[in-house]
Amino acid sequence: MHMADALVSPAVGVTMAAVSVGAIAYSVVKMKKEEDFDEKKIPLMAVSGAFVFAAQMINFTIPGTGSSGHIGGGILLAALLGPYPALLTISAVLLIQCLFFADGGLLALGCNIFNMGIIPCLFAYPLIFKPIAGKVLSNGRIMAASVFAVVIGLQAGAFGVVLETSASSVTALPFGTFLLLMQPIHLAIGIVEGIVTGMVLVFVRSMRPEILKSSAEKKSLGGVSIKKTIIVFSAAALLIAGILSIFASSFPDGLEWAMEKTAGTAELANNGAFKDVAGSLQGQTAFMPDYDSGAAGIVGGLITVALTGISGAIIYLFKRKKACKA
Amino acid sequence: MQGLTKATYGFHRLDSLARGNTAIHKMDPMTKTITTLIYVVIVVSFGRYDLSGLMPFVFYPVILMVISETPLKPLLTRMAIALPFCIFAGAANLIFDKETAFFIGSTSVSFGMISFFSIILKTILTVTAVLILAATTPMAQISKQFVRLKVPSLIVLLFSMIYRYINTALEETISMYTAYRLRAPGEKAVKMKDMGAFTGQLFLRSADRSERIYAAMKCRGFSGDYDHIRSGNVPRGEWLYIFILTASLLVLRFFNLSVFIGGVLS
Repeated sequence: MHMADALVSPAVGVTMAAVSVGAIAYSVVKMKKEEDFDEKKIPLMAVSGAFVFAAQMINFTIPGTGSSGHIGGGILLAALLGPYPALLTISAVLLIQCLFFADGGLLALGCNIFNMGIIPCLFAYPLIFKPIAGKVLSNGRIMAASVFAVVIGLQAGAFGVVLETSASSVTALPFGTFLLLMQPIHLAIGIVEGIVTGMVLVFVRSMRPEILKSSAEKKSLGGVSIKKTIIVFSAAALLIAGILSIFASSFPDGLEWAMEKTAGTAELANNGAFKDVAGSLQGQTAFMPDYDSGAAGIVGGLITVALTGISGAIIYLFKRKKACKA
Repeated sequence: MQGLTKATYGFHRLDSLARGNTAIHKMDPMTKTITTLIYVVIVVSFGRYDLSGLMPFVFYPVILMVISETPLKPLLTRMAIALPFCIFAGAANLIFDKETAFFIGSTSVSFGMISFFSIILKTILTVTAVLILAATTPMAQISKQFVRLKVPSLIVLLFSMIYRYINTALEETISMYTAYRLRAPGEKAVKMKDMGAFTGQLFLRSADRSERIYAAMKCRGFSGDYDHIRSGNVPRGEWLYIFILTASLLVLRFFNLSVFIGGVLS
């Protein structure tokens, strides 16, 4: 479910990054304020992050289907570490996956942290997992809580992917069709992942009951009302989106103005490039650039690529020659 | 389960690449991050039908790869992770967007084809840009830079520690999986009913390890903070590099070089 850079527009990427940075900063503050925060938790979080990274790579066979699946880990970490540490850990894992494994992009990191970190840890866990699991844990309750929380968290995450991709207007896939493709697949994945998450938690509880007990007994999110959190987050998202859209609509005008000042004409602005910025920023799918020069553009593009390749080869040969001499 | 071994290998590979000694490696990590971000933002800001405008941007990863002596293969294997979903999103354009845009010779090119290739090209460009950053910057320097950016020490610590222990976790998983395979010959993967115990056991081992790590950290005077790193500034010459690169990227963004060259030739 990792989104790549190519699927987001700058406006969507920056908005989601701002929301995620806000949530991470909030989690750091909340974690440090918690009365029982001890630094011992830092190595536990780090090793759990590495654990989730490895656990995501364990393939297991799904009975009756012949296919295999793997776990995501958001709810699992939230249940083992608590929601705030889980979000921080997942965010760090996503950053590592993006930097070193090309799993999700740098600009899309905000989207990915939101879909796979914030949704399961700060929404699905406190709103679904905790109420079902209750304070007195039992295996049945843990199982039910895991399945529901993972399924709903994954549905919301998949919905986030659809929304973010559509808002970026990079694909011609109609919103409804995209939704119909994504949601059922993730329903199936969610059920399987939920069951496995429940099984892991039941196992951990049977071996070390104190780990789950300590996170279950904590007050719901350190006494902060969930409603307030949701309101603050949606307000922040709206505010940022609003500011960005103002910026987006004034941006091309500003550039045209600059063109007029420097070139004495705004004519250049009409041959596609500037409209294009506006188009991509505002998600106007109706925009069609001037394609009289389309074929010539592609041919010219191929020539630039070839030229780049040649200059790359020249630098390479030059460097090798130098290395041989030295 | 091949993925596990591959991931372990991949880590070592990027790590050893990052220890190189070229002009790109010596550059301040902040410079590299700023330019990578600017590049990624400008590349994704292209409209979905603007394939020709996008093509000249190939110059950045190619030149950087050559100068930094980054081999192509590790980049290609990682590219394979990012591409499938993008191909899926792009393939939809082929189906839904069939109107003819223009002709090359006598073959018609549809808008869907243009946007399909522009998504693929954007993926290739952005992924290589980020990977080159990772392949030329050692982990310690990336963490150092986070401290400079005033990222909370808790997050920096988490980031660098997770990175350090991923290998251990992967090796642990591989040895557990080997043991499992020996006890369950003929199984393709872990049976779903065993996943609870398998993954749970992996977590418990990790938790035990964290206790030992904590004890070791305490012995070395760990106080919960990570502020022993002194911050530095981006050297002046590198600001010039950032400025020139950004300016040329912006020129390429608003001046379609491909159309120009194509126009001159035809």
